Amino acid sequence: MKKLTLASDAPGERLFMLGNEAIARGAIEAGIQVAAAYPGTPSTEILETLAKVARELEIYVEWSVNEKVAFEVALAASICGLRAMASMKHVGVNVAHDPLMTAGYIGAKGGLVLLSADDPWAWSSQNEQDNRYIAEQAYIPVLEPSSIQEAKDMMADAFKLSEEFKHLFMFRSVTRISHGRSDVILGQMSQERRAGSFQKNRQWLNYTPVEARLNKPLMLQRFERIREAVNASPYNQLRLTDGAKLGIIASGLSYSYTLEAINWLELGDRISVLKIGTPHPLPEKLVRKLLESVGEVLVVEELDPFVETHVKAIAGEANIPVKIHGKDLIPRIGELSTRTITEAIARLTSSKPPIDFTKVDKLSEETAPLLPRRPPTMCPGCPHRASHYAIGVAARRVARDYGKDVEPIYPGDIGCYNLAYNPPQEAVDTTICMGASFGIGNGLAHIVNAPIVANMGDSTFFHAGIPPMINAVVNKAKITMVVLDNSATAMTGFQPHPGTGHTATGEEAPSLKIEDVARACGVKFVEVIDPFDLKKAIDTLERAIRFDGPSLVVSRRLCAILDQREKQAKGEKVVPYRVDRERCSEKCNACIDLLGCPAIMREGKKAIIDSSLCNGCGLCAQVCPYKAIIQE
Amino acid sequence: MVKEFNIVIAGVGGQGVILMSELLGNAAVEDGLNVRGSEVLGMAVRGGSVSSTIRIGNGVLAPLVPTGKANVLIGMEPVEALRNIAYLWQSSVVILNTEKVVPFTVTLGESSYPEIETIIEKLSRASGRVVQLSAAQIAREAGSTLSANIVMLGALFGIGRLPIKIKTIKEQIQSRFSARLAPLNIRAFDLGYQACRKTLKGDNQ
Repeated sequence: MKKLTLASDAPGERLFMLGNEAIARGAIEAGIQVAAAYPGTPSTEILETLAKVARELEIYVEWSVNEKVAFEVALAASICGLRAMASMKHVGVNVAHDPLMTAGYIGAKGGLVLLSADDPWAWSSQNEQDNRYIAEQAYIPVLEPSSIQEAKDMMADAFKLSEEFKHLFMFRSVTRISHGRSDVILGQMSQERRAGSFQKNRQWLNYTPVEARLNKPLMLQRFERIREAVNASPYNQLRLTDGAKLGIIASGLSYSYTLEAINWLELGDRISVLKIGTPHPLPEKLVRKLLESVGEVLVVEELDPFVETHVKAIAGEANIPVKIHGKDLIPRIGELSTRTITEAIARLTSSKPPIDFTKVDKLSEETAPLLPRRPPTMCPGCPHRASHYAIGVAARRVARDYGKDVEPIYPGDIGCYNLAYNPPQEAVDTTICMGASFGIGNGLAHIVNAPIVANMGDSTFFHAGIPPMINAVVNKAKITMVVLDNSATAMTGFQPHPGTGHTATGEEAPSLKIEDVARACGVKFVEVIDPFDLKKAIDTLERAIRFDGPSLVVSRRLCAILDQREKQAKGEKVVPYRVDRERCSEKCNACIDLLGCPAIMREGKKAIIDSSLCNGCGLCAQVCPYKAIIQE
Repeated sequence: MVKEFNIVIAGVGGQGVILMSELLGNAAVEDGLNVRGSEVLGMAVRGGSVSSTIRIGNGVLAPLVPTGKANVLIGMEPVEALRNIAYLWQSSVVILNTEKVVPFTVTLGESSYPEIETIIEKLSRASGRVVQLSAAQIAREAGSTLSANIVMLGALFGIGRLPIKIKTIKEQIQSRFSARLAPLNIRAFDLGYQACRKTLKGDNQ
């Protein structure tokens, strides 16, 4: 077998790859020279792929501290004439929103692409926002691929388009593109490597009111050129069918589902289709042509009615008497599927669905009540489980002094530790966005009379935790901030961050200590605990919560998965714990009810530890009131 | 060339579902077939439910298998197979590993695990055939319970309808594992293949 990789210059060869690898490959083919990102599902593997080939292909690749910085790094590269990309998940674009709104005024010199990986159905996110609206607000054109092959081709092209129109582009992926897989035919790799240089140009790059007024009309002119050009873009394709009464406009991945639905219904000869690869701006001439040729139109797109609204505006302006359907038939929530679109088309064409969906649904409905929930959980040996337990014990102790029925409040954040919101720990009260645990804690402190213990992870702390920590100091918010430091961005797959001591490409880097940052920012109570040294951890947390002023505790223990990998590499054996059945009490359920460790199960009325899952952390042994859990 | 062959693999994070789809996808490409697929990464790897799709053929465009259109559903775990029942149709084949992975919500008493007979009855009603295996037990025979996913892959080829050549998938297994682990996994594949053939023969008699 020939060994091809994502960095092989082998045009015409076919490789099976993940969507995010295809996106990275597109950037490689375009000769990208700078890539920056902050990890976030479903975007992470794009930068990881580029990091692996960075040295070989002379690409500067970094994990930035957050998405705002990542975008600014890419923007700077573009200003200096290099091809650059910032990649992030949809909510990451919110963090980069500030520079983004002025980046449209700047445009681009070297090709500049912002990759937004949207997450319909919020598989791994706090919301399912549709970032095409952000692009519209910022006058940024959007490219949206219908397949993984097109994602690769489009990405390679995006940098050229950006340079042709001197404007930045948004590339909108979705979970099923980024985390889809497909065979992809490789294209040619650009060998061009430019030397970037910064040329001072205050009229272009210093945004005071004068430059804002000067550059906005120029931005609008650039955008008008793009609006005209998308009518001839290969990513927008109109296929008119003679005598068709129904036209379908399908944007991005929806186009693939739509074609499958039309084939399934065998209606190819009765429907006209407009494929949209640039939802913003729309190819107005093509849209108009379709609208004029049919009596009814169905707009198919995932999430919000972005294309639909614009199509309706085009029809209204041109006075075209056509009935336009969209979100009346296609769900606004979640992912689309071949089935959803099949049903919508069947309704509009009064045709019979190819299979009896009601029969399938009936079986699914009958089955649903039988299915036990299987939510993701923290791993056996996860230090976060111990931290949450210690926080709970300490906070409840202090809460008693506030009043009989006072309960502590636990604002939480984005990361693995948030899984403790599930039973039995239920140790997280709010989850909103990166850094919001400290921010919400700040607000609560001035309103509620209860212990407030906010928690966030180490990577999140560097990303968005420092300003709200300073805010607590300056505005005297009496909260306890616990940084759950497992020395990894664990949820997304162990990417480095400012505390880990290495960069995206594996080079050594300064390792910032969270406790040093906190002290430098004026927090007067700062301590470090080991969550597996339970008694000491609880005592320290109690002192922190009682402290008169903002306090910060770093709960430091390596991520269980990394710990296991390190042990394996060193040849160390995990020594699991077991339950002494004699000592274990039938009346007690403490280990199960307090910790929720997947390695502990029930056998009869007593607990039992699955030795193949146990990683020997010993937390349960410290919690057991009967001293019934012992190491093998 | 085959028009459309849809495989859904359902299991629990850590069971090697993603590896199975990678091996299948790479083998399909080697055999000159078009292939699409999808899985949910991220949250799902933390012990949650995982499902992955692999679609082969020149009629395939989208990453997800449409409702009622699975040719094969591989259930790495009984409840997870049941969770994906909507993919099944009268002609579908289910390959079921009958070894349970009890979710933590059951330990907590928050939910209960259905009887295995109930699960098989529901799956049988929704599909054309359910092939039952004890994958970890077979994998142990091959040398390691960790190869349960490769046993299931062998069973998938045992049904004899796949557009991928057995030689190609074996080459993929061979090149994916180290020299030490490759023979063990090839053995696991063969045992899974034979177990499935044997069950199907038994059904036909």
